[in-house]
Amino acid sequence: MDQLRTSIPISNDKLRQYAESRLHRALAARLHRRQLVKSSLATAAAGAMMHFTGFTPSAVAAARRALAQNGDSAEAAVAAANALDPKPAELFVVWESALQAQDPLLFSGPLWEELTGIRITVLELPFTDMYSGQVAEHIAGTGGHDVLSVVPAWQADFVAQGIVEPLDPFIEQYMNPADLDDYHPLYRDLMNFGGQIYALFDDGDTIILYYRKDLIEDPANQEAFQAQYGRDLAPPATWLEYDEVQAFFTEQGAPELYGGASQRVAGGLHGWFMEEYRNKGGIFFDAETMDATVNGEAGQATLDRMVASNLTMPPGVETWGFIEVLTGWMSGQLAMIGGTWPPIGRWSEGTTVEQLAWVPETQVAGNVGYSVMPEGHSAHNGGFMLGVAAQSQNKEAAYLFAQWANSPSISLQRCMLPYALRDPFRLSHYASEEYRAAWATAGDYLDTLEAAADGALLDLIMPGAVEYHNAVDQAVTSAMAGTGVQEALDGLAESWNEITDRIGRDQQREAYAEYTLLAGAYP
Amino acid sequence: MTAPVSRRALPSRRGWQTAGSVSGRTRWTGWLLVLPTLVAILFLGIYPLLFSLTISFRRWDLQVPEQSFVGLANYGQALMDDRLWAALGNTLLIMVVGVGLEFVLGLGLALVLIDELRGKRFIIPLLMLPVLMVPVVVALTWRLLWDQQYGPINAILSAITGQNVAISWLAQKNSAMVAIIVTEVWQWTPFMFLVLLAGLSGVSAELYDAASLDGASWWHSLRDITLPAIAPVIAVAVLFRAFDAFKIFDVIFLFTQGGPGTSTESISWYIYQLGLRFFRMGYAAAVSYLVVIFLTIVVAIYATLWLREERA
Repeated sequence: MDQLRTSIPISNDKLRQYAESRLHRALAARLHRRQLVKSSLATAAAGAMMHFTGFTPSAVAAARRALAQNGDSAEAAVAAANALDPKPAELFVVWESALQAQDPLLFSGPLWEELTGIRITVLELPFTDMYSGQVAEHIAGTGGHDVLSVVPAWQADFVAQGIVEPLDPFIEQYMNPADLDDYHPLYRDLMNFGGQIYALFDDGDTIILYYRKDLIEDPANQEAFQAQYGRDLAPPATWLEYDEVQAFFTEQGAPELYGGASQRVAGGLHGWFMEEYRNKGGIFFDAETMDATVNGEAGQATLDRMVASNLTMPPGVETWGFIEVLTGWMSGQLAMIGGTWPPIGRWSEGTTVEQLAWVPETQVAGNVGYSVMPEGHSAHNGGFMLGVAAQSQNKEAAYLFAQWANSPSISLQRCMLPYALRDPFRLSHYASEEYRAAWATAGDYLDTLEAAADGALLDLIMPGAVEYHNAVDQAVTSAMAGTGVQEALDGLAESWNEITDRIGRDQQREAYAEYTLLAGAYP
Repeated sequence: MTAPVSRRALPSRRGWQTAGSVSGRTRWTGWLLVLPTLVAILFLGIYPLLFSLTISFRRWDLQVPEQSFVGLANYGQALMDDRLWAALGNTLLIMVVGVGLEFVLGLGLALVLIDELRGKRFIIPLLMLPVLMVPVVVALTWRLLWDQQYGPINAILSAITGQNVAISWLAQKNSAMVAIIVTEVWQWTPFMFLVLLAGLSGVSAELYDAASLDGASWWHSLRDITLPAIAPVIAVAVLFRAFDAFKIFDVIFLFTQGGPGTSTESISWYIYQLGLRFFRMGYAAAVSYLVVIFLTIVVAIYATLWLREERA
């Protein structure tokens, strides 16, 4: 055992602890000798995984030459990929299906192949299956994935299971270090998990509020609103104001026009609850006992308001997801969107590509205003990072593709693709003259996204995050279907406690403590 | 022209046995020929079955590195799991109401179409279309039909009632269950119809003639001739459909994802959540085996009752 212990490089405490704990547990459980051998191999594999050392000298040299010339990480990645020996013919890249996948299918994949000769095969998965699909592939040990799509909330599980490769050695060899400073601080911090970078941030999913400037600024509406509520009609700064503006337009215009809509279908809904809950002062767990505290006053106030707010949204909003909100907004049926992902801001100004032919022609172009979410802190809901699969046979090439796609120059193009769903995440994206000139108010849009990222509230990032989030979705949809708010929240707290107990209170206490240190854990 | 093969021309059971033991080489050739199939069955059928049985006794959980042996703990936990019982209740509701409606409607259609009708050869293929459709496509299509705002079902109900019907079908438990059952009935009634039609076509017309001479009404003929005559067919059709309905997944997945909350979860959906979303494989395997045990008991009772009926 000591031999094994010393074989584990100690530069990475977290992985060493994980590997050692596996060994201790195996011994404690008095496993069969074969299982112990298996466990030891896993430990050794974890040790080997800590430092990828199989760099191709010619590739490293080519990258350094390219970086010395112009400091462009994209060119360095291409030069290195072309110098790989052997160079893989193909990389298998996991990506969210449908619109998201149009990027690697139509833009980044073909371009990378043109530049390097390495074909990109896109493995599309619906968002709801991306976590389980990638975990299952790892458990099966197929080595069938090279580049992974990692949501920050999944990072704890992916690291603990050894699914993702630590990227620091690759970054050291191939990337211009200045590129790391180009990530927005929120995203740069999210990339750093336990002192290591396991994935490159690639999609800034900060939720913002959209409103119709033409309706808000209309003098008749201003006057009527002043008469009804005794204050100016303005983009809402609190949820109370939001509900008033929403109710005002619904009363005035339904069924042709409703005051607003927010996503209410399960599968992301947790973001809305958890954002407002924290803005109202709620905390998720008692840091000492790890008992869930979501069923207190803040929880009740949040869920009460969410349920009541549905009454002035379009009928049937309980089943609305991203697409329904998009459709209602583009067709001019909504005065506001109570928060959604950034692509809607771009598409509001017009969609010309065939991939979006199904979206109603925009009725709101030129009239869209943007704002950080009510109470001043938007949720960062989802987001994608590009990681390298620990079981990949082509780790170097996989990393180089990720670095190239994620580099400032290429990622800006990807964020501006008219059909894809990648959103700004680099400081250079927000400042891009090209992007800011894309439409008249593009500068406002980018400034709002940056401001939202500055104060964004993160999803839970700890083991079992997917289960915790799923339980929130269930509680909220349950309350919206008529279950009492307190009953739904008590059920949520019970579910969270069960998850915590199953995973282990001590482990979760430690993970939660780490989470609370992140800038976006609480306001 | 090939002469019809008489029963006598076929080799006897003993004859096959004799032929099979002619030489060791022939026997080995036989084994060699079935070997690929045998291997495939063992690897794809038996091995996963045994593997899942073994992990049902372990704490096989993504979040817990050690996969310790826990004996019957997973089974005990499952029996105390309220969510499992609720999912079982939902599944049985869908199964009983859905298959019941499918039987009634299928039988009605079969009784109508067993007679010579104009256009029958066009009607029957048309009726079969839902069965031929992929369940996912059916679910996606019906999800649009049930849509509160744009779906035609509310529009049709509004036209019929003369009032604005704006039911958010998939957002409430009860209405969502109605939507799930109606969709199931729409897709699978034709299956029931076809099987029952085949059964009805085998009932001798002489029985009805005799009953008619005795002055039996339509109802008496149905009760005393038709149903007893096709009872074996009914038993098989109901059993097939009940099993299929018990596995319901596609419609739940696309309609409600088990929601709102967990109120429309079926057994298959719950097991999928446990095993393939949260990777609680040991527990999911235990729940699966409990379901197998439950279904085995149900089938045993069903078969016993049916055989008793047959004997009577």
